[in-house]
Amino acid sequence: MNLGDRDDLDDARLRELAQRLGARAADTLDVERTAAAVLERLREAPARRRMPIWLPIAAGLVLLLGAGVVWRATHRAPAPAVAAAGYDLKTLSPDQLRQLLQVIDQPLDVDSVTADDTTWDDLTAPELRHLLAVLEG
Amino acid sequence: MSRAEPLAVQPTDAALIAAWLGGEEQAAAELVRRHARALAGFLAAAGAPEADLDDLVQETLIRAFRSLARFRGQCQFRTWLLAIGGNALKDAARRAKSRGGSQVLPLEEELQAQGGDPHEDAVAGETERRLKDGLQGLSPMQREVFLLRAQQGMDYDDIAQALGTTPGAARVHYHHAVKRLKEIVR
Repeated sequence: MNLGDRDDLDDARLRELAQRLGARAADTLDVERTAAAVLERLREAPARRRMPIWLPIAAGLVLLLGAGVVWRATHRAPAPAVAAAGYDLKTLSPDQLRQLLQVIDQPLDVDSVTADDTTWDDLTAPELRHLLAVLEG
Repeated sequence: MSRAEPLAVQPTDAALIAAWLGGEEQAAAELVRRHARALAGFLAAAGAPEADLDDLVQETLIRAFRSLARFRGQCQFRTWLLAIGGNALKDAARRAKSRGGSQVLPLEEELQAQGGDPHEDAVAGETERRLKDGLQGLSPMQREVFLLRAQQGMDYDDIAQALGTTPGAARVHYHHAVKRLKEIVR
């Protein structure tokens, strides 16, 4: 290509130049030696599955999350009794639940509690404990 | 009737890949024979120093064979291999930079002998030098798209698959690269 022709450089010329670029390096590459070296290196480190790069990161995150969950479980205040009591309420019979609802629905003033004192007597000790747990929750 | 396809009958890249994954070592050697020169040309044009070219070619091939199980034939094997080469080159440049070396990899020092008129050879060498300089001034994506398209003759679909972009975006990168290179080379 002449110096004066440079302005006329078109895509085809650019492609031709690009193809020539690196051609000498490619020609001087000893392919058989490269193949032997690559096989040798592959043999040294057998075709084991390489661990994906995200795997140790994900494992680290899982460990951190797990540690966080354990820490919270051991350090935070006891879980609200409502949840536990809610679960235990399943053990009550429909009649007992109705009684319980009546008690809970009462306004929390001294008079009403006193007026309904008879209702409390119908509950067993475990039921009272459940009720306390609910009210304290 | 023989069940096994003999390797000597010009197996496709896909067949060689399957054979390698099945434990046939010579399949890997054949893949190297087929693609190593193109890989070396690509890496050299992309800015790999001549002194490091052998190592980079080997490093790329090792990476490729180790992750071959993940190759799903979404593009040509060669395109995929060259994309891995591009990444290996970037990693090498990063390592060189962290060691305090030059970020831009050195260019070939010799003019390419064209075997014709000495003046024309010199001009051609100068043009190639400018092109190589210009390539270093492109973004890595533009450079890779340009070389895969212009040097290796890959189509945009293949390039897009290998580089994790869309054919439209690859086309845009190519045209940006051509525009800039024309300005630099002229």
